Order: sequence, then C-alpha cells, then structure tokens
Amino acid sequence: MLKLAGILCILAGCMGWGAGKIGEERRRVWHLREVIRIMKRIQSEMVYGKHTLPEICLILAEYSAVPYQTCFMEIYEQTKQRDGSCLTKSWQRQMGQCMRDIPLVGEEKEILVNLPCNLGMSEETQQADGIAQSMDLLERRCRQAEDEYAGKSKMIFSVSLLTGIFLTILVL
Amino acid sequence: MRSEEVLYMFPDAMRRRFEKVAEQADKLQEIRLRVNVPPTALIDNREWFVDWEGSLVDMPPCGADNRPEELELLLKHLCQYSIYAFADEIRQGFMTIQGGHRIGLAGQVILEEDNRIRNLKYIRYLNIRMAHEIKGVSDSILQKLYHKSGEVCNTLLISPPGCGKTTMLRDIIRNVSNGTRYGTGKNVSVVDERSEIAGSYLGIAQNDVGIRTDVLDGCPKREGMMMLIRAMAPQVLAVDELGSEEDLQALSLASGCGCKLIATIHGASLQEIGNKKYMRHVIEDRLFERYLVLKKQNGCCVVEGIYDKEGVRC
Repeated sequence: MLKLAGILCILAGCMGWGAGKIGEERRRVWHLREVIRIMKRIQSEMVYGKHTLPEICLILAEYSAVPYQTCFMEIYEQTKQRDGSCLTKSWQRQMGQCMRDIPLVGEEKEILVNLPCNLGMSEETQQADGIAQSMDLLERRCRQAEDEYAGKSKMIFSVSLLTGIFLTILVL
Repeated sequence: MRSEEVLYMFPDAMRRRFEKVAEQADKLQEIRLRVNVPPTALIDNREWFVDWEGSLVDMPPCGADNRPEELELLLKHLCQYSIYAFADEIRQGFMTIQGGHRIGLAGQVILEEDNRIRNLKYIRYLNIRMAHEIKGVSDSILQKLYHKSGEVCNTLLISPPGCGKTTMLRDIIRNVSNGTRYGTGKNVSVVDERSEIAGSYLGIAQNDVGIRTDVLDGCPKREGMMMLIRAMAPQVLAVDELGSEEDLQALSLASGCGCKLIATIHGASLQEIGNKKYMRHVIEDRLFERYLVLKKQNGCCVVEGIYDKEGVRC
C-alpha cells in the first residue's frame, strides 16, 4: 500500500513539474502577445494621439492586463507627484520589477524596460519606426513560440511521464 | 503663482538651486538658462544671477555655469521625457508646458532641402517665461468693451511682447463668460493655439477662463475659428496673437457669422498696426469696434488707451 502511494506521489510530482513547464510556455506566449499589444498601443498613441509618456502610462493602466496594468499605474502616479524624479529611471525600475518573474528572455524584456531610454530627439513618426523594429523582433519570437508550443508541450509531457516511470522503477 | 509650480519645472537635481527663485514666484517673470553661463532670473523687472547655492546675486558668479547635460535634462523634464510629442513646437522655437508657461528655445537648426526648419538640435538656450493669471486685471476697462445693449464689442488688444496681452485677454474672456454688470454671461469659444490662454493640461483648462468657455487647444487659429463656429455656436470668439493675412481672413469670416471677436496682436500703437499691410483693410473696414493698447510704464504693464473704430480715444 505504501509502495503504491509512493509510486503515485512520484508520478504526480513528475507530472506536476511537466505541467508547470507547459504552463510556463503558455505564459510566455501570452506575455509576448501582451507586450506586442502594449507596444502597438504605445506606437499609435505616440503617432495619432501625440501623447506624452505619462499620458500613455495612464491609458495603458486602463487597457493592459495585470501585471502591466499595475506597473503603468504606478509609473503614472510617480509622475503625477511631480517630485522631479526621472521618468526614465522610474519606468526602468517599475517595469524591471514587474517583468522580473515573467517567462521572457532578457532581450525581450529589455525592449519594454528600456523603451524611454531609446526615445530620441526625433519626431513621433521616427519614434514609431523605432518601436516597429522592436515589434518585429517580438512578433518573430511570438510566432516561433506559438509554433513550438504544441511540440514542446508534448515533449515536456512525455519527458515528465517517463521521468516518473524511471524514478518509480529505481525506487522499486 | 505658487512657488511649487516653479520648482515643478525643474528635475530634482536642479531644484535646490532654484528654491530662492521659486520663493519669488509672484514677481518672477522669466528664467533664462544658457550654456556655460550662470542662469538669470527676471524678478519684478530686475535681473538677478543665480549662483551655485541658489542665491540671487547682482554679478555673474563663478562656477555657477549651466552645463550642457543639465540643459538636456531640463528639456527632457519639461517635455515629460517625451520630446517627440513637442517636435512641432520645438521646430517653431518654443513650447508651452503645464500651467501655460512658455519655454523659448534656441540651438542648432536642422534645415530641410527647401530651407524649412526640420528640427532643433543642441538646444543650449532656454527662456522660461512665466504665465501669470491675474484675475480682475480687466475689471476697470470692461465697461468700454460693452455696448449699451449688453453686447460685447469686437475688440483688438495691441501691445508689444511682455506687456500682458495674454493676461488681459484671459481675464476679459473670464469676465465675458461669467457675465458682468455690463452684460450677461456669453458662450465664449477660445482657439488656444499655443495653450497660453487656458493653459490646458490633459484637456482641462488650468487657468480660470470662465464658466461658459469652450477651449480648442493646440489648434491653428484659422482652422480653429471655423471649427468652433460650426461646432460650438459661440457668441464670442477669442484668439491670441494674430500674425498673418490668413488669420485676418478667418476672423472676417467669423465676424460675418454673427460672432463677436476678441483678439490680440503685437504692436506698439494703433498707427503701427495700421501700417501693417494685412491689417490696413481690417481697420478701414472697421471690423474692430474697440482697440485696447497696452504698454509698459516704469516696468509696469498699463492700459495706454482704448480707442473706438474711428481711432478716437474712448
């Protein structure tokens, strides 16, 4: 009876690990889509609305999903205090914290984290072109992640199941 | 104006230095920052240098020069780290920030092939001109801007730069909109091309422009006037700084639509305005019923005179 319980625990543990990994892949695709959506919104607010970054933060605080929603609201609240602090730094700090545990790779996170640093002196259409280049990279990564998702999920599921069986055999 | 409002203009690294200047907020007229020289502040018509500690001194202090990176940081801060959003204004050499304060800019010009200005780079000279809302400044002259029937006269405010044209215009708008003992409140529409009259921020007027006032912010005068007439059916239309023949044409059209007009123009006197080619026919056609001429006397802005459509002092 105890052996059976042990075997079930091992299998459940391994399957749980696999499910976690599959969930991470799914979350990666979701976050990539969300970041692309945010970047597109920033681009259009810059070009059509001619909004400043604090105004864009306020708009995004309404339209983006958690955790980005909270992050944009915090950046906006910080600028509203008018304490003279640097928006670029507070954006980097808040966005860095927000994206710390998100399953995106460094380069993908940096696009959003360093967005205000990469805005130059040029007019809004030039800025939009710059953002479009970053979006190209994100869209490529997103397509790649979506394509790989089904295959990866099956592989992770199989690996976790086999690991569970292997451990069970070892224990027996 | 509150001292905090002056300090808000500066990034935290520069705030300590301008604390004493900010304390003089009520009398502060402008702050000039130029690269490699100390900043100056014009307070109550007297120029002061600002030393490193923030004290106001008569002579240029040593070691208090503005560094290029400080000016860049200040510009970014004034633009809310969104210089792209102010590109059109920077191209014209000035921008208006929250509160209606105007920032004059100079640096190196980048030209298009056809010699039009594309942008400014290396912005190393900033002139922060403080907007002052003085309520009641127009009270003493209001009577002369109304007909006996209670209708507002078409009025043109004439003054050289820095004599309080916009301040006077804003207060006239507020009074006309709220209503006075000379006439009931009117629906006033304002084309605030440079955001100086209402000082709108996120679409909300920061200055008191009255309870019956609609503001079209950041819109060129010509397009704005016709748009407001069609959309808002104003009884009075107000614009700042007429400067071209197109502005005058739009104003004539607006007048033909039954609107009363209040406008301002740069100039020292009615005669000088009459000499401007595009203004001559406006005066001859008697589009304006009142000319309000402002001037500076002993450092104070005063009304030099109010003239009727014939050019006779009222």
